[in-house]
Amino acid sequence: MPPHERDLDDEIEGHLALAIKERVDRGEDPRAARLAALEEFGYVGAIHDSMRRVWYGRGYDAAEALARDIRIALRSLVRAKGLTSTVVVTLALGIGANAAIFSVVRSVLLRPLVNRDADRLLYIRQTARGIGTENLTFSMPEIGDLESRVTTISTFGDFSTVDFTLIGFGREPRVVTAGVVNGSFFEVMGLRPVLGRLLNAGDDGPKAAGVAVLTHRFWTTVLDRDPSVIGKTIRLGPGMATVVGVLEPSVPYPAETQIIANVVTSPHHLGATMVTDRTHRMTELFGRLAAGATLEAARAELASVHASMMRAHPEAYSARAQVQLHVTTFPDQIASPARTILLLLLAAAAVVFVIACSNVANLILGRSVRREAELVLRAALGAGPGALRRALLAESLVLCAAGAVLGLVLAQPLTAVAGRYAARFSVRALEATVDASVLWLGAGLALGAAVLLAYVPRLPTSDRSGGLGLAGGSLRMTPGTNRRLQIFAMTQIACSFVLLAGAGMLVATLNALQTAHTGYDMRHVLAIDVPPSATGVGSAATLDFFQEAVRRIGALPGVEGVAAGMIVPWRDPSAGLKFQFAFEGYQPADGEEDPTCRFRPVSPRFFAVLGVPTLAGRDFTDGDRDDTELVAIVNQSLAQRLFPSGDAVNRHLWFASRGKPRPRRIVGIVADVDDENVVQEPSLTVYYPLRQMGLPSRLFVRAAGDPYALVPALTRTIRAISADQGVERPTTLEDVRAEVLTPERLNAFVFSAFGGIALLIAVVGVAGVLAFSVSARTREFGVRLAVGSTPSQLLTRVLREGAAIVTAGITAGAAASYVLARVASTYLAAAHTPRVLPAVAAAAVLGAAAVIASLIPAARASRVDVLQALRSE
Amino acid sequence: MTKTADDRRLDLLQGTLDMLILRTLQWGPQHGHGIGQAIRAQSDDLLKVETGSLYPALHRLEKRGWLKADWGISEANQRAKYYRLTAAGKAQLLREQDRWSQLVHAIGRIMNPAPASKEE
Repeated sequence: MPPHERDLDDEIEGHLALAIKERVDRGEDPRAARLAALEEFGYVGAIHDSMRRVWYGRGYDAAEALARDIRIALRSLVRAKGLTSTVVVTLALGIGANAAIFSVVRSVLLRPLVNRDADRLLYIRQTARGIGTENLTFSMPEIGDLESRVTTISTFGDFSTVDFTLIGFGREPRVVTAGVVNGSFFEVMGLRPVLGRLLNAGDDGPKAAGVAVLTHRFWTTVLDRDPSVIGKTIRLGPGMATVVGVLEPSVPYPAETQIIANVVTSPHHLGATMVTDRTHRMTELFGRLAAGATLEAARAELASVHASMMRAHPEAYSARAQVQLHVTTFPDQIASPARTILLLLLAAAAVVFVIACSNVANLILGRSVRREAELVLRAALGAGPGALRRALLAESLVLCAAGAVLGLVLAQPLTAVAGRYAARFSVRALEATVDASVLWLGAGLALGAAVLLAYVPRLPTSDRSGGLGLAGGSLRMTPGTNRRLQIFAMTQIACSFVLLAGAGMLVATLNALQTAHTGYDMRHVLAIDVPPSATGVGSAATLDFFQEAVRRIGALPGVEGVAAGMIVPWRDPSAGLKFQFAFEGYQPADGEEDPTCRFRPVSPRFFAVLGVPTLAGRDFTDGDRDDTELVAIVNQSLAQRLFPSGDAVNRHLWFASRGKPRPRRIVGIVADVDDENVVQEPSLTVYYPLRQMGLPSRLFVRAAGDPYALVPALTRTIRAISADQGVERPTTLEDVRAEVLTPERLNAFVFSAFGGIALLIAVVGVAGVLAFSVSARTREFGVRLAVGSTPSQLLTRVLREGAAIVTAGITAGAAASYVLARVASTYLAAAHTPRVLPAVAAAAVLGAAAVIASLIPAARASRVDVLQALRSE
Repeated sequence: MTKTADDRRLDLLQGTLDMLILRTLQWGPQHGHGIGQAIRAQSDDLLKVETGSLYPALHRLEKRGWLKADWGISEANQRAKYYRLTAAGKAQLLREQDRWSQLVHAIGRIMNPAPASKEE
């Protein structure tokens, strides 16, 4: 009981005691005195009521009345089960979708990062758009230049990755990706340890002891949060390192790693190439703004220092590459790829909500017309417009609250799905959870919908000509109501069309991607990563290891062929494997540079194993070694473009820029394949024998049967040669490609789901409007039948009505999609232009669904019983 | 119910209860029952305040800051809420008294026209 009420009770008790005492003092019998005092006092409940009015003011009356209306609404809605469940489910879909998408949007775009002062943390990158590279990364000499000259940035942190075989923690050897960082990296990132310490300046330099920090994910998922790992010594590739700490959970950027170690753990990072080669770029750069410096100032200063650095070392920055420096804040950097897609999703969810609301509005409107007699009666008995609105509001509040509750229950799994989906674009999406702010969103949406819905129906007025009379229990449609119903139905159709056309476009794109020809035999070829870092030995030993592996695997049953290479198509980054070649007999035109070609070292039988036809000449053989003639194979596009007369074989080619040319003879021509783009684009490719250049790290196995069935035998065979060897990610080329296409597939799936929901709701909406319109016009149909209309004429009439709604809706939707697409394409470079086929398909689907939806009410119209219809008034 | 008492009884004029309460409390703090009894006694039993009006009025006046309430022990040896006038309450009482005498005066002029108007 609230304190107010308790005090009042005490006060009343006190009053009664005094009144009784007074009477007893006058000589009355105590029992009689008590009864008399009680009678005199009056009804205690009434005092409580008037007290509440005093305490809570005028709002109390309204709230009490609303509470009463809500009780009535609850009872009447429980009776109308069909309507109630349709409305609740529709609203729940709308609210659930919005809540889920909002959760993801919030966690990706709005929630603060754990990094201290994340807004002052900068991510710095170089682009070389001239050669199609969005992130060139940095070399150590470049970072040294920036560090020594820039003053607006107080500290720089650098990060690069290297793969190690990790042996330790009493577990199986495993290949881990390690971040290699300088001592100020964690200081710059503004991150803290959950256990032990992070790295600091004392860990820098080649003389320091090897130390490693575990990432939170690795520590929790693999090491089961074992606190005793601190201080343990582990073997990382060739060297040893001590585990000094565990990093707090944070966004794994720029790369998801298991450990983060200091420079001394990686021999490569200490090597001359890394330290002195200005073009050896593999390091990501972060900086923290100096006190008082602004982002603009840092941008300007970095740009000018970068420009003078490029002028000082022209050999490292070809004009064609158009190297540029870009500075973004860290939060922007990690959220930007997701922003577009998330805003699109948010828009789609909003459209679904609009559809859901207008459908519910339709149902409510229909219901209120059926209730018109009741409303008129209430008005006649003295209920003012306020009271009637309140009754309607109570009902819509009940419906929307139920919808919101169910919607938020739905939001839970939807958020998980949407989070996994959006994680493709930003790692932060995985943090998405449903929490209080989403509850507020749901409540807000529900309240908004409730108020909107309460104001949709028209109230009975004193205007008698309005056609609302006390007499007669039958329905009468007023033109106004009918128009509103139709407008809501049209809104639904229009919104559904936008979603369906969008989904159709994505599906068409996906379909084109999936069915595109690749040139590979994707189904039977298994690609396996056999990382060379794990062997930790020089190139000759690696080559021997691979040769042995190829020989032994080739002897396994079910294996049709084995080859080695450096790149799994589509999966491995290959941007660096691109060089300028000079060709014997090909003279570049004036001003044209030597052609840039993809450079792919492969083993013998590579083409046969991957199903790439050899068109002329021969394949590499085991006889092509570094002590035999230098040879190469080129692809068909290269041969045709550079040697149009068809005499490529036996010509010579060599690296265009590096020192003394070492010509090699073209011994074969193979068909075109594209291992960078999932949709094949023409490219110039030069293949070298692995034995003459390069270091194998990938195996390709052609299976007779199910490729995955071979995996255990393959792993055993490889481990038999080298026990610590990592054997990772065995995947058929088909699945590699599918994996690459996952974002597209997910886009198509999510938007199709939205489109499907929208279509479903819209169809229910159209059917509802027509059904209502038919049942309200029973008398009209009766009259029509009586004066000679045939049932089929009535059927056509109703169908035509439905068709009119759909046509208007689709027209509006098409106009809206056109405008949206135009607006989108000005903001998003990647926005697909609307295509005709998906739009037509969407219109056809909607039209067909709507016609089917209107068949049922139309059939009912044609079956109207004349006598009954005429007598019904 | 005793018919005779009811017949004699006058209905309170709308808005006068507040004034009567304030006036009653001028003599010192009092609990609800005491206020009711005082009004009744001082009006020679002509005015009887229903508890259903008295308590809401007391709480309303308290909410407006004209009264302040403290818990005490009553003659019946029971917890009771004693109301007393605040400074604002005293000022309000003066205002209400003023208004009341103006009202009485005005109504009196209508009901018993003064000799001045007779001269016309």
